[in-house]
Amino acid sequence: MLSDCCLIPGQPVPISRGPALQLGSGVYNRNGETRASLLGVPVHQGPTLTIPRIKPHPPAPNSVVLGSITRLSPQQAVVSITVVEGVPLPPGEDFTGVIRVQDIRVTEKDKVRVGECFRGGDVIKGLVISLGDARSYYITTARNDLGVIFATSEAGGTMEPVSWQEMRCPKTGKVEKRKCAKPEGL
Amino acid sequence: MAQSGFDRRRVNGPNESLQPVYDDGIKESNVLYKAWKPGEARRKRQAKDIRPICARHTATPPTPFVTQTVLKTGFIKQANGSAYIETEHTKVACAVYGPRQSKSSSYHEIGRLSVEVKFTPFSSLVRRVPIRDAEDRSVANLIQQALTSSVRLDLLPKSVIDIFVTVIECDGIESCIAAATVAASTSLAKAGIEMLGLVISCSGAVVGDDVWLDPNEEETQLASGILLCACMPALGVMTNVWQTGCLPLAKAFQSLQLCQERCIDIHQIAAQALHED
Repeated sequence: MLSDCCLIPGQPVPISRGPALQLGSGVYNRNGETRASLLGVPVHQGPTLTIPRIKPHPPAPNSVVLGSITRLSPQQAVVSITVVEGVPLPPGEDFTGVIRVQDIRVTEKDKVRVGECFRGGDVIKGLVISLGDARSYYITTARNDLGVIFATSEAGGTMEPVSWQEMRCPKTGKVEKRKCAKPEGL
Repeated sequence: MAQSGFDRRRVNGPNESLQPVYDDGIKESNVLYKAWKPGEARRKRQAKDIRPICARHTATPPTPFVTQTVLKTGFIKQANGSAYIETEHTKVACAVYGPRQSKSSSYHEIGRLSVEVKFTPFSSLVRRVPIRDAEDRSVANLIQQALTSSVRLDLLPKSVIDIFVTVIECDGIESCIAAATVAASTSLAKAGIEMLGLVISCSGAVVGDDVWLDPNEEETQLASGILLCACMPALGVMTNVWQTGCLPLAKAFQSLQLCQERCIDIHQIAAQALHED
């Protein structure tokens, strides 16, 4: 059973504070009155009033996504987005994203070779920069904490990151080149 | 070939030609309204009553419009949102999938709503052929028109929301469309898709001088005109009005008014269904 403050779409939000309140997602303003647009409990996150959304939703610019590489080409890497801001999408309902060669890393953008940064099947963590075109969203991995988080080596073992450019297979000891994400806690 | 009409090379018709006998329009299947005359009161309910939504069997007789029980949500686990609504002989199930990536090759700034309706072959007295049924498309259009202005599609670029409605039993096509709209709106809310408000729909039939709300199949046949209206009671706006048959203007406005008032009560039921998980 949900608490008493659970609002349905269209219901006015009871605001106790003064009018200097920013509206986040899940609420909207109509004729000066704030109403809910999602089913849920309104939460004050600092100065913003929002109704948090736990259901899967499409990627928006500046959202962190996880996906797996499906196709590589000299100009871009095609990603199948499976997790958007921590919420996994239902199976079969993934979105398509594209990492262009100039968005892979920050330094020496013209000398990048896609085969040395990603391989098919790698799981990457990226940031959506824009809605892109009709078929795919544009993703960037040009940050320390973005890039490959999981990859399998040619021998079949799960590789560990050695540096931001290399990953090592524990089975064979071979080092392969990937653009790795900095692990959290380091 | 001297005799006219005697032609051996062709198949001859009968010599005499008679006029066909026409049925005078009164259907034999009207069980409830047998020997009903125009001007008489409605049978089994009041003019302003709608059929109870999912009535449980209790000892005490139900109030004129039962608000005890609710329409059920979340019964299809694999869909993002789902709802099942049942009035006396109308059963409609609805599932919402999305927002998904749109398969179209054109870029659109605002999202799209795609409604698909399917009538089961056993849903009405006459069997409906599943593939050749032409009524699916028009019902889907009505539901889409009712829902489009209520969903915040501007927040879902490049996405499409799929709504699948299955009509398991249909008693009166307009009340069936109304029930399907309520189920679809409730499942959209359950799916976590941003909306301006819940869309509630109600139908009214004009029989003689009265307006009967939520008509069943027989009452639809007796009516001279039917009005179907969809509105958002939370905001007090209308999203869709559909009128069929012959209605004088005054009657049309009167039934619009009555439908809107009843929609507020149905909104309570929908809100209760959403609060109960």
